[in-house]
Amino acid sequence: MLDVQDIVTAYGKIEALKGVSLAAAEGRITCLLGPNGAGKTTLMYSIAGVLKPRRGAIRLGGVDITGQSPSAIVARGLALVPENRLVFPQMTVAENLEAGAYQRRDAAEVAVDIERMYARFPRLKERRTQLAGTLSGGEQQMLAVARALMSRPRILLMDEPSLGLAPLIVEEIFRIVGELNKDGVTIFLVEQNVHMALKVAHHFYLMEQGRVTFSGEPGKLAEDEVIQRAYLGTSRQASSHKTG
Amino acid sequence: MAPVDLAQNTLDGLMIGSSYALLAIGFTLIFGVMRRLNLAYGPTIMAGVYLGTAAFISFGAPSLVVLAIVIIGASLVGLYVERLCFRPFGEAARTASMVASFALWMQIEEAAMHMLPQHMNPFPPLLAAPPLEIGPLMLRADHLIMLAATLLLAGAVTYLLARTKLGLAIRAVIDQPRAAAIVGIHVERIMMLTFVLASAIGGFAGFLIAATDAQVTAMMGMWATTKGLVAMMLGGLGSVRGAIAGGLLLGVLEAHAQWFLGPQVRDMVAWGLLFVILAFWPGGLMGAKALDRTMAVGRRV
Repeated sequence: MLDVQDIVTAYGKIEALKGVSLAAAEGRITCLLGPNGAGKTTLMYSIAGVLKPRRGAIRLGGVDITGQSPSAIVARGLALVPENRLVFPQMTVAENLEAGAYQRRDAAEVAVDIERMYARFPRLKERRTQLAGTLSGGEQQMLAVARALMSRPRILLMDEPSLGLAPLIVEEIFRIVGELNKDGVTIFLVEQNVHMALKVAHHFYLMEQGRVTFSGEPGKLAEDEVIQRAYLGTSRQASSHKTG
Repeated sequence: MAPVDLAQNTLDGLMIGSSYALLAIGFTLIFGVMRRLNLAYGPTIMAGVYLGTAAFISFGAPSLVVLAIVIIGASLVGLYVERLCFRPFGEAARTASMVASFALWMQIEEAAMHMLPQHMNPFPPLLAAPPLEIGPLMLRADHLIMLAATLLLAGAVTYLLARTKLGLAIRAVIDQPRAAAIVGIHVERIMMLTFVLASAIGGFAGFLIAATDAQVTAMMGMWATTKGLVAMMLGGLGSVRGAIAGGLLLGVLEAHAQWFLGPQVRDMVAWGLLFVILAFWPGGLMGAKALDRTMAVGRRV
């Protein structure tokens, strides 16, 4: 579904991604783990078209989308739940959902989908006329997910959806991730919560300092090893014999 | 301090203030989507008005044709300003945009003075009806038209922002530009459209103002930038309701100041009020949250 080949993205002279290659298979949950500053968010923004990679290729369903605008990429069926949620704070919950369906022309179906989102996220229904900026962190995360789903994506990119949330809400988020996946949405997930990520993922990658350092299925690497490398990173010498 | 004077001044102030409100709506829309100050906003309006008055002087164009020329002219000049001062620079380069818009201000003013070298140029008046008398109060008919047009246009802008898909996109870009891009809104196109729309609104305001004065000078550019800026700052950056309130407040305040303290003191009072409000309510009367949000977004992106 999503195929990233040797992507280099830089801020000025500093290369945040130094040739990243990975793939997210159709119908599966793929996780990307790694410490702060590894380049995970840069990768998400590069895939979504917000940042332009300097080199490399990104294919979505076999079509090259490298360097396309975010709106063109949304039109191809990709939606991003961005880091820090980035809801529209001065717009109501309902308006946030409408904005998520911005590119769609089927107003009647959009209205049906909004009701579906309310069924899946009852809290959002209660707060439909409230400004999104007044929601709690967990509610904002639900809204960010629902907003992304409003474009009816084939693949959903989620950038640290559990960031700063209480454990109960994190469980809820991951339950929803699993449900969405069962409904057929391909999911590519960046996470810091290693335990939860390994529980839902079919496949995962480890990323350190702008490079992918491990690729495999959960269970291939002991959880504490993953935790150590995901939170702290390791020097490349120490980990090189384990990389795939 | 007769009550009738107070009432008459307030009435006059609301009429003039309605044109300030229109100027401020355009200003605040541009500031909202760009988060940058467009100093060439007033001169853009003046350029439209000058094109209209040139058509009036040369061919005796009727008022409606002049109105169309003013609005289209201001929109095109607005597009020119957006291309040169805003599109090339990111939000991070606020100063570059502001200084560039100052340079275009000078350029537009020069061009206008070359086009019509006379200092003062005639502009077709709206109508020459005698003032209406309501009890002891006097009302100019063209002022009433200006007030009605302002209310209509403010209503239309509010409707556009609140109820249409374009309005949703504009608000999304104002609110959280990166998220707007992520949901598939073409942010640069919305910025351009908003800029042109704001310039057209400014052109409409400029037409009404020039028509009630029946004349125009190249100084109108500076006048419109300062009045629009003060009205916008009074009401709060990036808020349409704030712009309307700020414009009306400024008009009423000026009318009272002129009556009670004299025309020389009028502008000083307006600037003094702006200073007091910025000192105590830095976000303006209705825009405290708007300013916080702008700064928060500035930090985040």
